[in-house]
Amino acid sequence: MLQIVFDALTLGSLYALGALGIALIFGVMRLVNFAHGDVIAFCVFALLWPSVDAVAIVFAGNLPWYLLIPFVVLVGAGLSVLCEIVVFRRFRDASPATMMIASFALGFVIRYFLLMLFTSRPKSISLLPALSQPVEIFGARLPLLQLITIVTTLLVLAGLTIFLRRTRFGLEMRAAAENFAMARMLGVRANRVIMLAFALSGALAGAIALIFGSQTGTADIQMGAAIMLMAFIATVIGGLGSLGGAVLAGFLLGAASVVMQVVLPVDARPFRDAFVYGAVILVLLFRPQGLLVARGTKERV
Amino acid sequence: MSLLDVSDIVIRYGRLTAVRGVSFSLNEGDILFITGPNGAGKSSLLRAIAGVTPIVGGSISLDGKSLAGLAPEDIARLGLSMVPEGRHVFGSLSVEENLLVGTGMHVGKNGWRARVASDLEAVYDTFPILRERRNGQAGLLSGGQQQMLVIGRALMTNPRLIAIDEPSLGLAPNITDQVYERLMALRAQRGLTLLIVEQSSTRAVMTGGRMVLMRGGQIVLEGDAREVGTGDQIQAAYFGYEDH
Amino acid sequence: MSNATTVDTHALDSDKIAVRQPSRFSLAGRTIWTPLLLSLLLVAIAVITFMIGSRPFNQTVIDVFVRVILVVGLYVFIGNSGVMSFGHIAFTCLGAYAAAWLTINPAMKKISLPGLPEWLLATKLPYWQAAVLASLFAGVMALIFGRVLMRLSGIAASIATFAVLAMINAIYSNWESVTGATSSVVGIPIVRTIWPYMIAAVVAVFIAWAHAISRSGLALRAARDEPTAAAASGVDIPRERLVAFAVSGAIMGLGGALMAHSVGVVTPDTFYLGLTFTTLSMLVVGGMGSLSGGVIGVVLLSALIQALRWLEAGVPIGDSTFAIPKGLQEIALGIIMIVILALRPTGLMGNREVTLFRKKTK
Repeated sequence: MLQIVFDALTLGSLYALGALGIALIFGVMRLVNFAHGDVIAFCVFALLWPSVDAVAIVFAGNLPWYLLIPFVVLVGAGLSVLCEIVVFRRFRDASPATMMIASFALGFVIRYFLLMLFTSRPKSISLLPALSQPVEIFGARLPLLQLITIVTTLLVLAGLTIFLRRTRFGLEMRAAAENFAMARMLGVRANRVIMLAFALSGALAGAIALIFGSQTGTADIQMGAAIMLMAFIATVIGGLGSLGGAVLAGFLLGAASVVMQVVLPVDARPFRDAFVYGAVILVLLFRPQGLLVARGTKERV
Repeated sequence: MSLLDVSDIVIRYGRLTAVRGVSFSLNEGDILFITGPNGAGKSSLLRAIAGVTPIVGGSISLDGKSLAGLAPEDIARLGLSMVPEGRHVFGSLSVEENLLVGTGMHVGKNGWRARVASDLEAVYDTFPILRERRNGQAGLLSGGQQQMLVIGRALMTNPRLIAIDEPSLGLAPNITDQVYERLMALRAQRGLTLLIVEQSSTRAVMTGGRMVLMRGGQIVLEGDAREVGTGDQIQAAYFGYEDH
Repeated sequence: MSNATTVDTHALDSDKIAVRQPSRFSLAGRTIWTPLLLSLLLVAIAVITFMIGSRPFNQTVIDVFVRVILVVGLYVFIGNSGVMSFGHIAFTCLGAYAAAWLTINPAMKKISLPGLPEWLLATKLPYWQAAVLASLFAGVMALIFGRVLMRLSGIAASIATFAVLAMINAIYSNWESVTGATSSVVGIPIVRTIWPYMIAAVVAVFIAWAHAISRSGLALRAARDEPTAAAASGVDIPRERLVAFAVSGAIMGLGGALMAHSVGVVTPDTFYLGLTFTTLSMLVVGGMGSLSGGVIGVVLLSALIQALRWLEAGVPIGDSTFAIPKGLQEIALGIIMIVILALRPTGLMGNREVTLFRKKTK
């Protein structure tokens, strides 16, 4: 039982962090950023850099943890900000559909850049191997990593909440997410807020890369996409633009996946994802604006 | 030199010309009402001054500095605070957070923190209801309270000029009275310059100051509010009758 | 193509009111040049390909025609309703598997797909009959899903359509006895001549045109541009969207069936995110609100992809061969798409259609 709870929380953590990365950017510029998953993949591969050999030689990944974590987080933030400056800045006034396709094209570029360097074969990496040791809590044996994932996610969420609630940048970001035009009329600098959102989102991508990389022990070009899809759905059913909603929906989706795996009859288990997506449609039918509606977020699609 | 100079500006939306060749200027401490019927181009004019709507002709300058090509945030930073129509409070933020959004631009200046605290007190003294509700969600305030909040929020940016679009829209007359009372008090205290858009000239006449009347994207009448606003011309101009 | 003049569809939209009077035929007469010219382009491509007679090129052009069908299918819903859909490839998947069920040799089917009902196991239809049935099947499924989904609008609708795609993918990837799960379903008769694909693409273009000038299509476009006014004048938006959804679902199913016959193999992951984004990109780059944009988007991007592949394989220049590194093809494609969208945010064609005569501007 406890195992199920932890599985749900672990999966939910990844979805929640991913959804947060998408919601942050959506909030300030109404962009659904499909390149986010590829930023995650890029962060994972950054651990291998500068080695591009077929046999993975972890280079940056061998750094001690107190250097490793800032390294990956900075790579994510840097790449994300670069995307903003080079590409998305030119799409501020474009329609959401155009922005979406542009972000997809950008993700495509990042993915094939990785593919060109590293080929498509997944590489095994061992990140912080000490973390796969099981620990015993309340009579259940859990991998230490699961525990750390959950704790890290909670810390990240707490940190982000404090940042948004207690700092001036956070205040400006929340105001901009709610009514960007009004915030600008109060002197809030559009470029800075958007860049900050991209940096935070990229840093979150780095965090996901670290967690996911050490969970699966592989670096795979496709790895970002899997989380992205669920994160994307979580962002929408959480209420686009609502950060709290994104996190909540991320955990709910994680829980729904894990719980359905357990409660569905054996015959139906392979179809678990179909049930999860069916549930998503139901949620949308009853709450088309999402679970937590962000005030002032008018649809523009 | 005048504080705000608007000269011969033209605003177009596609093929539609909303404002055609409007000019006026405002001195420090002035109060100017822009009145006129729906669709006269008043709001477009105000949005253009705030840098939200682009102009296709003419020029706008604040304190001698041209505002051409400046982003809304840059214009706000020069000391022009815009209060757009419709009371755009940040509904999910608390009242106090709303007031603090615009103070970011003064960070780094000497004594910023103390300044913010004293400004906050000043706004709370002007609008005591806001102090009462300081930690409540701004979205839950009544219409009149929201109007006070957006004016207070504009004041927090320490502006030299506040441009307000229809402060009386959707408010009960006695609430509007309160709002104007406070605005005039602020003007007296701080030497604030006011640019106010209202549909009817009634407020302008009650408050005094200069007034222009716009119709069809042009200024059709201007002068002292008390003189112009009470004359026979105003009705003719407002509804577009032929002169006599 | 380039010297054909263009006309603003808003001019066409202004005929919406007139359509209630019997001027429908004059509307058809004035707009028919668009599908005719587009068909002419497709026929020209087919004839040139036939004359070249190279087999790999033949296959490439077949792929282009299949994508034209898919993108035209997307246009019918997305272009006319203005609602982004990420889920239409689900109907392509349904169509492709339906075609497989109907055309694979019964003896093979009994072994590879034993879970099919008796009557289906015993059926073996010619490919074109199967394609028509597959298209109808996809259309009916779109109607069923649409009944539920069309109550939504905006981004919620987009995500819900995506959930449909993911759901169909999850089912087809796991339903071992009926779809062969993730393993390939083989033995679908392969059709190698280009003509059936060309004909199907032309048919799709004409269906899209006929829908666009039908009362329902005009009402839908009116609702896209002026939702409040359209609703106030009695346009039942969910209903018109449902019509477009079903028509586009059927076209997507047709494309899926032909796609299955063009390669002879289907797997669920062929019909997932990759194809979704390829086709959506072609539509958006061409111009989301324009039928011509969709077709031209496919042709141009396909030509671009082909040219890049060609460069990747190496081009002899004098004594040496010039080749771009592997993977650069996709990167270049992505960059070119971004540049096109940055320069023309509404796509190459915007909202306009190709036609012969320039409409008089009022």
